[in-house]
Amino acid sequence: MRILAFAVAMTLPFSALAQDRGPILTDTVEGHILPGFANLADATGTLAQAAQANCAAGSPELRAAYHAAFDDWISVSHLRFGPSEVDDRAFALAFWPDTKGFTPKALTDLIAAEDTAVESSKEFAQTSIAGRGFFALEQLLYDPKFADQGSAPYRCALIQAITADIDVNARAMSADWDSYATTLTQPGENNPYRSSDEAMQELYKALVTGLEFTGDTRVGRPMGTFDRPRPNRAEARRSERSLRHVELSLIALRDLAARLSADHFEIAADLDGAFNKAITRAQSLDDPSLAGVATPQGRFRVEALQQSINDIRDIVSTELGPTLGISAGFNSLDGD
Amino acid sequence: MFLTRKHLSMTKLFAATSILTLGVASAAVAADAPSKADVLTTYANIAEAKYDDSLIAAKALQEAVNALIAEPTDATLNAARAAWIAARVPYQQTEVYRFGNAIVDDWEGKVNAWPLDEGLIDYVDAAYGGPTDENEFAALNVIANPSFELSGETIDASEITPELLGETLHEADGIEANVATGYHAIEFLLWGQDMNGHGSGAGNRPYTDYVQGDDCTGGNCDRRGQYLSAATALLVSDLEWMADQWKEGGEARAALSADEAAGVSAILTGMGSLSYGEQAGERMRLGLMLNDPEEEHDCFSDNTHNSHYYDGLGIQNVYLGSYTRIDGTPVSGASLSDLVIASDPSLDAEMKVKLANTMQALGRLKSTAEAGFAYDQMLERGNEGGELLIMGGVNGLVDQTKTIERIVNTLELDQIDFEGSDSLDNPDAVFQ
Repeated sequence: MRILAFAVAMTLPFSALAQDRGPILTDTVEGHILPGFANLADATGTLAQAAQANCAAGSPELRAAYHAAFDDWISVSHLRFGPSEVDDRAFALAFWPDTKGFTPKALTDLIAAEDTAVESSKEFAQTSIAGRGFFALEQLLYDPKFADQGSAPYRCALIQAITADIDVNARAMSADWDSYATTLTQPGENNPYRSSDEAMQELYKALVTGLEFTGDTRVGRPMGTFDRPRPNRAEARRSERSLRHVELSLIALRDLAARLSADHFEIAADLDGAFNKAITRAQSLDDPSLAGVATPQGRFRVEALQQSINDIRDIVSTELGPTLGISAGFNSLDGD
Repeated sequence: MFLTRKHLSMTKLFAATSILTLGVASAAVAADAPSKADVLTTYANIAEAKYDDSLIAAKALQEAVNALIAEPTDATLNAARAAWIAARVPYQQTEVYRFGNAIVDDWEGKVNAWPLDEGLIDYVDAAYGGPTDENEFAALNVIANPSFELSGETIDASEITPELLGETLHEADGIEANVATGYHAIEFLLWGQDMNGHGSGAGNRPYTDYVQGDDCTGGNCDRRGQYLSAATALLVSDLEWMADQWKEGGEARAALSADEAAGVSAILTGMGSLSYGEQAGERMRLGLMLNDPEEEHDCFSDNTHNSHYYDGLGIQNVYLGSYTRIDGTPVSGASLSDLVIASDPSLDAEMKVKLANTMQALGRLKSTAEAGFAYDQMLERGNEGGELLIMGGVNGLVDQTKTIERIVNTLELDQIDFEGSDSLDNPDAVFQ
């Protein structure tokens, strides 16, 4: 049977066999990926400057710049391939979940030792990812535990080193994406993506993995179990960004899904409907740090949000994937 | 010889042409393809052999542990440690079965859970700290406490039994880091904490931790012996159960043959998930990025290089359908490799080269560690040689995952969802 199918396939024109993925690849790169990383690099530049101007943990300008840059990171955080994975950049921007408390430990160690790595961006890039990036910065800006740890000048230098390191990584990603774009849009033999199917699979995988992470981890971790909710496990709860991350990631993933389903009107409409339902639920929740999971009513509403994300995942895996002829492959969440 | 990409595509083109032009010969090519049923039988036979080997080695460990408890000396402690290291060789090669087979995935937390908050079990250094935000019981120390509160209930731990460890203490309070059973709990009881940081040397628990009477060190030597004995007995019975599931008529074997395409997909899911998310990501790259000497899989014994090596070897021997038992008996048969050859020989060649590359990189890591440069030293901040060694393994594993994905597509298994594995359906976190 296989051989017969193969022989028949050889006699058909190529276009009848394969879907022409070129326009979708180009559209996704130019409309979704490149602008996302350019926005991030702009915002991290502002963040680093704000820390230089005023490194006080309570500085309103610094906090505003932190929120703006973190927003832009969450909006591209599902794009975990290519330039994001070089030199541990994405890991260094956002190390979470932190199941063993590595971030407070790394920060405490740096402060206690007055580690001179903060004086050089190269040295600082060698330190543990747990003491770098947005989650480390969040603890220094919002956790009272760090408000008076060590000396004020050192805390200031550490905040400046973290923001500068975030900016270096974000700019490197954005710059590399300008050249990596053609890797994705022009697959070929001497390319990580041997065919447009493989390039498409990368984007599809980003959608699947992004939804999985938002549903199971961003929403699921604080939910814990009914008897044992875990509000302290909510992402970026100290700066009350937990729900915002769910909403921002869904908005970014809706955009990606719309582009990937552009040739299939009905699936695109189904996806759009499911995303809008989930985003509306997130927006109506009024529980920024997802602390409500600790109460039965609060938990019920968060559960409904998670269900609506699972509904999107179903459409993606049962309708979009098969129609595109793409499988999810393996992702970083496959471990335990 | 390393096949270049061009080489591979030429072979592929040639194969395609032959099929089209030689109508009769094409039937011969098809005949060469093994049946999926045969491939699955080999896969199950290898699983049966590996779990049986793990059981045999665990029983040897149990004997050594009993000898240590009966007569604690440097010699009996070292013999128990050697038996533990030997027991890891077949077990790590079974890990490739985990993610593709729900029955293995649901069970494996009992025997190989990691990382653990070892303060749950026994005394730890002051620097370890106490309870954490994530885990109230991180420093419970059940060996020192015959009675304690757990989720509002008073637990009677006056006698440390396999039931207490497996049913009450393991994953207490729903926390995965509360690892009370399995290889790593036993490892901690044999070696103790590795207090050397990034310096050389593993855990150095004295044999006197098991001496009864006045010479006992660390306190509660009787309860420590009870714990070690119970944990080892539990390991043996858990492995016994899993070995049975792979025998003729066993549940794991039956689940595989229920749907042949899903069975072949399970082989690839196991290979890919272990290569990428688990080993390359969580176990290797994460530790390197955190520069933490305890972020290694066998952190008490400094045996991590072997854990990684035998994980990789398990992936390779499942693909090739050929495993050598711990007594030297070969187990082999129709393989996934044969199945791939039948539809795309160049893809099979690519897979073999990549698996060999990974084994070379993991072999380099192993031989360097055995020469004295331990895995926790490689993790040190700014240690370029260590980073190169570890990233060599990571890159090999990531690279081979791409080819595993290509095989999924080529064998047209792509519309079989990677489900049936708990870890895929319910990944609690990226790095847990």
